[in-house]
Amino acid sequence: MKRLAIHLLLLLPVLFLAFKVLVLEDVTEPVKYIYTVTGVSATVILYFSICISMIREKINLMKFRRAVGLYGFFYAFLHLINFAIFDAQLDFEFIAKETIDKPFIYLGMLAFFILLFMTITSIKSLYKKYNTYHRFVYLALILITVHFLMAQKTISVENFCYIGIILVVGYYKLLQKIVQNNKI
Amino acid sequence: MNIIKKPSWLISENEVTPQELFDNRRTFLKLGAASLITGGSIVEALAKDNIPVANLQYIKDKNPNNLKLNTYDQISTYNNFYEFTTSKTGVKDLAHTLDTDNWKIEIDGLVEKPITIDVLDLVKKFQLEERIYRFRCVEGWSMVVPWNGFALKDLIKLANPLSSAKYVRFETKYDEEMFPDQRRGVFGSVDYPYVEGLRMDEAMNDLSFMAVGLYGSKLPKQNGAPIRLVLPWKYGFKSIKSISKITFVDKEPLNTWQKANAREYGFYANVNPNVDHPRWSQKRERVLGKFFKQKTLMFNGYEKEVAHLYKGMDLRKFI
Repeated sequence: MKRLAIHLLLLLPVLFLAFKVLVLEDVTEPVKYIYTVTGVSATVILYFSICISMIREKINLMKFRRAVGLYGFFYAFLHLINFAIFDAQLDFEFIAKETIDKPFIYLGMLAFFILLFMTITSIKSLYKKYNTYHRFVYLALILITVHFLMAQKTISVENFCYIGIILVVGYYKLLQKIVQNNKI
Repeated sequence: MNIIKKPSWLISENEVTPQELFDNRRTFLKLGAASLITGGSIVEALAKDNIPVANLQYIKDKNPNNLKLNTYDQISTYNNFYEFTTSKTGVKDLAHTLDTDNWKIEIDGLVEKPITIDVLDLVKKFQLEERIYRFRCVEGWSMVVPWNGFALKDLIKLANPLSSAKYVRFETKYDEEMFPDQRRGVFGSVDYPYVEGLRMDEAMNDLSFMAVGLYGSKLPKQNGAPIRLVLPWKYGFKSIKSISKITFVDKEPLNTWQKANAREYGFYANVNPNVDHPRWSQKRERVLGKFFKQKTLMFNGYEKEVAHLYKGMDLRKFI
């Protein structure tokens, strides 16, 4: 039951997006809209994924942590596909040039490759070997946040909220680490 | 036998146009022209959207380039109007606080005689016309809009600037009651009042336009009622909305976006596919309502009309 609810919740953004773009067709700027929905979904889900270990004493979702992370990757993948197909129209020369040229894009790409690496190494046999490298998710989150802020024309109050969340989560994680180290 | 043979040109009495109708033939022609105004593309759009009754009288744009208009709905629900919100789809629901009644425009600075005039009285002085223009936002989206209004140069001639006036400075109304983001002070999205400017020769160019209407009816509030600037060869942010002040000056005005980030936005902001925004490409654009992009044209397709204004200028430097 809990499993079903979590999967449905995580699928909701893509179902909503498909409904808006393909059924209602009432989106004025579809490409931009797909960027926003997939980007925000990936960001929120990935932030949530790193909080799972923090809240496990209250709500234990540890066995869903991999699934949550994979959904995060799924939305990041849709985001990239939108860039390649609709935005760049599969003009690979353009994609390469833009990626090298614009920090806004290469930061996002770098974050995507971190997530891709984590996705591949999340299968059991590889996870044993590579799980320490999964800490790169924090780097990915920082890159994603910078990428997100750079996409805005101006930084508004909502954007500062994201920075606030990073700082709070980062601080909490750091405290957790210090407490853990002192116990041993 | 006396057979009266009618000449071929003779027509019977009942086929002759009565004198009074003949005398009124020009009025009739005008009626025909009026019905033409609401013909073609506009009727098509009227059928699709809930466009308010097209009640402005204007000279129709023949649309020689056959630009395909965006719908009234697209144009009036996707707006950058930071005085309300940075959400483009959110402006429409907030814009009702903009009160266009008794809207005064101050025209001052280096002019023969500064004036303050009600926007309705100002508009009465001009024959309105339609301009179907491409509109390209610096963010990478674009649309085609049928504006109604008059040429900026006609307003400038009326204002009678001194020869020392080299630039025109425009200001959006500052009223915290009307514009929620102006109340936020340092937390506002940009500095207010919003300021834009033009070099005098740019302002006198035939393309520079003061819009008071859209699709034949008065401007929706979210599109910058009651009066706004439209500069089709420049990025959209130059086309300042809800103008309350026009000042003739001798120095280049510091426009809002240049003030906010001079590395990314300059005074000129000419549409140029060869000069990228530091963060994103300007080579292509997303036309509202379409999935695939199209190439952005030099000066947004108005090269013939405006390129001479920037002859000899390094367009990478003067962004």
